[in-house]
Amino acid sequence: MSDNALWIILQKLRLPLLVIIVTYSIAILGMVLIPGLDDNGKVYHLTFFDAFYFVSYMASTIGFGESPYAFTYAQKLWVSICIYLTVVGWFYGVGALVSAVTDRTLKFELMRSSFRKKVRDIKSDFVIVLGYSYVNSEIIKKFHDVDIEVVFIEKDEEKVNHFLLEESSRDVPIMIGDGVISEVLEDAGIRKRNCKAIVSLFKDEEKNLRIAILTKFLNPKVKVMAKATFDATMKSIKDTDIASVINPFEVFAKRVDISLTSPHVLLLENWIYQNADLNSKVCTLPPSGKYIVCGYGRLGKELQRKFDKYNLEYVFIDEKRTASRDMIHNHQFIHENPDDKETLLKAGIKEASCLIIGTKNDIKNLSIMITAKKLNPDIYLVSRENTIQEISIFKVADIDWIFMIERILINKTSLALTKPLRHRLLMHILKKDEVWAETLVRLLLKRIGGNPIMMSLRINEEESYAIYHEILEGKEVNIDVLRLSLSNREEKNVAVPLMVHRDGENILLPRNMKLNIDDHLLFACNAETKEEIELISSNIYEFHYAKYGKEKEVPFLTRIFGHN
Amino acid sequence: MNLQKVISGFFFILAMTINFGFFYGDIDRPELHSVYELFVALVVSLISTVLKIGDKTQMGAVLLATSLVADIQLIAAVTVWTVTEYLSIVNIEAFSAIISLSGGALLANITSVILYIGETLKSKR
Repeated sequence: MSDNALWIILQKLRLPLLVIIVTYSIAILGMVLIPGLDDNGKVYHLTFFDAFYFVSYMASTIGFGESPYAFTYAQKLWVSICIYLTVVGWFYGVGALVSAVTDRTLKFELMRSSFRKKVRDIKSDFVIVLGYSYVNSEIIKKFHDVDIEVVFIEKDEEKVNHFLLEESSRDVPIMIGDGVISEVLEDAGIRKRNCKAIVSLFKDEEKNLRIAILTKFLNPKVKVMAKATFDATMKSIKDTDIASVINPFEVFAKRVDISLTSPHVLLLENWIYQNADLNSKVCTLPPSGKYIVCGYGRLGKELQRKFDKYNLEYVFIDEKRTASRDMIHNHQFIHENPDDKETLLKAGIKEASCLIIGTKNDIKNLSIMITAKKLNPDIYLVSRENTIQEISIFKVADIDWIFMIERILINKTSLALTKPLRHRLLMHILKKDEVWAETLVRLLLKRIGGNPIMMSLRINEEESYAIYHEILEGKEVNIDVLRLSLSNREEKNVAVPLMVHRDGENILLPRNMKLNIDDHLLFACNAETKEEIELISSNIYEFHYAKYGKEKEVPFLTRIFGHN
Repeated sequence: MNLQKVISGFFFILAMTINFGFFYGDIDRPELHSVYELFVALVVSLISTVLKIGDKTQMGAVLLATSLVADIQLIAAVTVWTVTEYLSIVNIEAFSAIISLSGGALLANITSVILYIGETLKSKR
């Protein structure tokens, strides 16, 4: 049955109802049986209706007085017993009703049914987000930016209230519940066809794994974005086939890796994430010299693999964790507090080329940084920032490269789900080498400037009416049509086609290419060119001019009556 | 033995028997039908309804439905009785309506008792 709420109320009211019925009937029966005297002194009996009427207003303490005639002492005696009987019964009933309505289970059921209804009403694509955190609330905003609805599940009622207080332009269906229970996921609409993904970035990675497995059984078409930093969990999550794993530590280590060999790739990555523009400084880690890393946790171990790959000299400092005996013997590990001048000197800060500070404590990170700067002003500083609150302090501090695990999670998760085309582009760019990336950066800088925007265009009736119909008519359309300037066809606009996605394949930097229906194009351009491209692709007259170099001849009748 | 079952079974059957007691007798002779019996029949019927609340099974839902039918029939009978008495309509037609309403309630009671017996026989314990 769907109306669980009503059922709960009825069940809670069973006993009170019984008490009311029994006390009323005893009182009514007594009133009927006890003889009274009317105003002429004759004996009479109250009818059942009289008795019911009197008991009704007595029990509810309304008390209209004795009716139909003043009572005899025998009647009064009975009434005084009945008052205690029925009034108590009545109050008990009212009290039980109130407590049933404010009952937690009832509230939960009401919330649940309204949640289900809201989820059922979602007609567009949506994503399920599990758990309230800064990262998730940022991700939710990004989804809303691209018109993807979000369904939100959180276990803790207090955090749900926090979430409700946050400003949100849309109505997000919220449920208090545990995401690892399949019933909760089903309520959240995981079986629905328009459920596209589920985001599970819990600290407890076991939980992420369980959600990935559950999702595989409930609806294998749903993508799972799960956070995992331990090797075993990562493998298990990947084995579900439907989940993509996000390991922020690995992502950062990868960035270090890229920055050692091809820093311009990193620049492009930051541009795609819209963290920085193309004019910003290229993060070039010193290719040689000693690396000092504070913190030997999961992040440290990922970094160590990269250092080993490039045969770099390194020292790890950590006061809590310890490393293998070989590392200590080779002076690659110091088991001491890194926030200490002596320790840093022992690690060789004076001759080191780069210091990576990666502890979980922001104040400690800042303090290490200040000490290190004093000891070696030329050192390349990389620092981890943990909470968003300190963002201004880190910006003021003279750090070469700041990274934030939370930011990596937000970027990674939202880009893959909200802008799949850009995500594909990024995946391809990450495989390219320094020369390729630098050429592209130069090209973009020269043609568009420091901060090109990206626009995607699909060849279909809605997004590109003119091109779509031209292709339907059997004529060829070349991608370079879109690169012509509308003010003068002889010149080109600034747009750079970055990628074409066709039948599951991606073509990077397409030139002189025939367009097909359902192609998905990605351009880098500026706001002005974006408008031009939109005009050419959708307006048949502009398109005609761009392709043939002359105005489209409009048939006489159409000119009068307008185009259908 | 389950005390809960004893109590609810008791009330289901009591509702039927008392209703029968009121119903039994010629339909056009008011002296054969006691108002007290009608009162008790209504009270017992209400109690048995409340006892049926809270069982979410299919059987429970049907039992509750039959019981609600009996309640509505009896409440209608009581209302007709009260109205005719206070408007001093001594009318054999109105009286036979009361009796036939309670007869309808009796049918509902019988249905519910049959269902109840069926369920009891079905259960293995």
